[in-house]
Amino acid sequence: MKFQPTRLTVLTLLLTLALALTACVAVAPESGDDAMMEEEGGFVVGVSNTLVGNGWREQMICAIKAEATASGLVDSVVVVNRNGGPTEQIADLEGLISQGVDAIILNPTDREGLNAVIESAIAQGIVVVAVDQAVTAEGAYVATNDQTAYARLGAEWLFEQLGGSGKVVEMRGIDGVPADTDRHNGFNEALANYPDIEVVASTFTGWDPSTGAQQALDLITTQEIDGIWTSGIDYSVVEQFQVADVDFVPIVGADNNGFVEQLIQLADAGLIGAAVTNPPAIGAVGMAIALDALTGENPPHETILTPKVFTTTDPDALNAIYAPDEQVGWSTYVDIEPYTSYNGSADVSACTAPGE
Amino acid sequence: MMAGLRSSCVALWRTGLARNTWTLGVWLLLSALLLWYATLIPVFGQFQVTSISKNSLPLVYLAIGQAIIVIAGGIDLSLGALLLLTNALAARFMDDQPFAMVLFIAIVLIAGLGILNALVGYIISVSGVPDIVVTLATGYIWSGFALWILPSPGGGTAPEFRWLFTGAQSGIGGTYVMPILMMAVPAILVFLLSRHTRLGLSIYAIGSDSVAARLAGLDVRRAKVSSYAIGGAMAALAGLATVALTGTGDPRFSVGANATLNSVAAVVLGGVALVGGTGLVLGAVAAGVILIMLNPILSAMGIDPNNAQIIQGLLIAGVMMVGGLVTLLRERSA
Repeated sequence: MKFQPTRLTVLTLLLTLALALTACVAVAPESGDDAMMEEEGGFVVGVSNTLVGNGWREQMICAIKAEATASGLVDSVVVVNRNGGPTEQIADLEGLISQGVDAIILNPTDREGLNAVIESAIAQGIVVVAVDQAVTAEGAYVATNDQTAYARLGAEWLFEQLGGSGKVVEMRGIDGVPADTDRHNGFNEALANYPDIEVVASTFTGWDPSTGAQQALDLITTQEIDGIWTSGIDYSVVEQFQVADVDFVPIVGADNNGFVEQLIQLADAGLIGAAVTNPPAIGAVGMAIALDALTGENPPHETILTPKVFTTTDPDALNAIYAPDEQVGWSTYVDIEPYTSYNGSADVSACTAPGE
Repeated sequence: MMAGLRSSCVALWRTGLARNTWTLGVWLLLSALLLWYATLIPVFGQFQVTSISKNSLPLVYLAIGQAIIVIAGGIDLSLGALLLLTNALAARFMDDQPFAMVLFIAIVLIAGLGILNALVGYIISVSGVPDIVVTLATGYIWSGFALWILPSPGGGTAPEFRWLFTGAQSGIGGTYVMPILMMAVPAILVFLLSRHTRLGLSIYAIGSDSVAARLAGLDVRRAKVSSYAIGGAMAALAGLATVALTGTGDPRFSVGANATLNSVAAVVLGGVALVGGTGLVLGAVAAGVILIMLNPILSAMGIDPNNAQIIQGLLIAGVMMVGGLVTLLRERSA
């Protein structure tokens, strides 16, 4: 029993060696032109993420894997996923470079701190795509969701619904986080055009459903409120209206599955709302960009996705993105034209990379 | 008389061997891992050696500091927080400063944190409150200070300072000379101090049996406070290394907490028993590098990242248990 794994390892090693030798013999006589032809496809893509156990990030990684599988151009996806800061991510990126990957997709922990290692990777011919958050490194591709527009589009819809006047609540995320700052700016951009809208309360939910729920319950039971804008803590807020038996007010949330379900099912009960997209499938967009760059298609270096707004006035669109098999926190907007080539939430949820 | 002397000589030789075989074993394990890693990846050269040595620096420094404190019979759960505090202070005050000023700040921080942690050691020694309780509390305090000094990631340092630890002014692409030198010099200095000076030997003595050490006329408090001072200075060096590696500061609590746990793991893996009085600093150095190497190795083996964390945890737990078992057997045979 004790020696079995060792034997197995030795056997595997020998087998690999034998295979490698055969491959060498087989490849050796081929000319340079054939080698160039083989460059199409068979790519190895590294992924670096430094926030573990976060639903959005896990879906981002699954979207990357799903797109790799659907593209048919990727041999394997190497995911380096652990909690850490720039120190850990620099080590992880150097590890991926050492493994000889063709491309790296990362969700960066720092805007500038990783530039040197990213530029070093690019200098070695590796395609680097930063997704979700930007980096300033020379030659890196960046694909992000437009957080300012996320807030502005949702807030504009809300203020229109209220006819340009009323009392609203702004339920933000985490103070000091770049995405929250951008969204707050977007919210204020919209607010500037509606002088009769009054923000009666502004809270920090910490992007935590239970915190947001408690704040919402306190607000709707003590104050007169005409509308609520949330930074993605939505379905637990809607639940509080039911708990407190208060009439629904127009509400803006994200494309969370639970919220989309409420918008569909509670429409008859008078729920009016808008789901604004902040897709973790930005990872898949990053994969598509990396593959374009690897196959010589010269994609643009900066890609900013403008959020889509799904409202209760168009139930068909809501039904199209609703994913009954997924959790409440699942981001339903996964098919991003023209980047993604997988097929819907089921493919992303399967979370399988090539060879897995 | 002669027989008794001989048997105690044999016992001494045996424990000496046991102590050194562990250290030797850890270094052999490190060499084996390096060789294995070299076969796992397509190219193993300057880039990889530099990468491993520079990325190991913070943990190695922390492990050296923790080793000295553990050898003296204590344990310091605030080392990671001290790293965080130095990181925040350095990134905040080194930003846009000339190299000379940056060096001055670095020296002040090393001396300052040495004195700060000496004070903690003094409080432990005087109050009689267990090390683990006092340092847990001070750890929270230092983490809080770090956030107060640098509320969100930012700050910077001089490019020459980054060269000092990484071998390149941009923090990447340099030769391995500087990082290996920066690892070896403090490690050898602390090792020599611990084995060849009166202070070092009294640190071993109080960790082994503080009552006997006191009865033998040693200044127990002085040795204890000194071990905490060295620990604090090494934690400061670790914090400076993190700033040099990234070029920015990062005051997040989890960074410090992880660093503390890893330093304890490195110490145990390095053959320094948590009961104190045994082990060599050099073992903890190799163990620190091993812990840093686990991540790229597991990744290169294609192990699922979630499983990689479990394997890493199991390895640390397993080694700690073996360490505990060895200590137990040693105590029984003594």
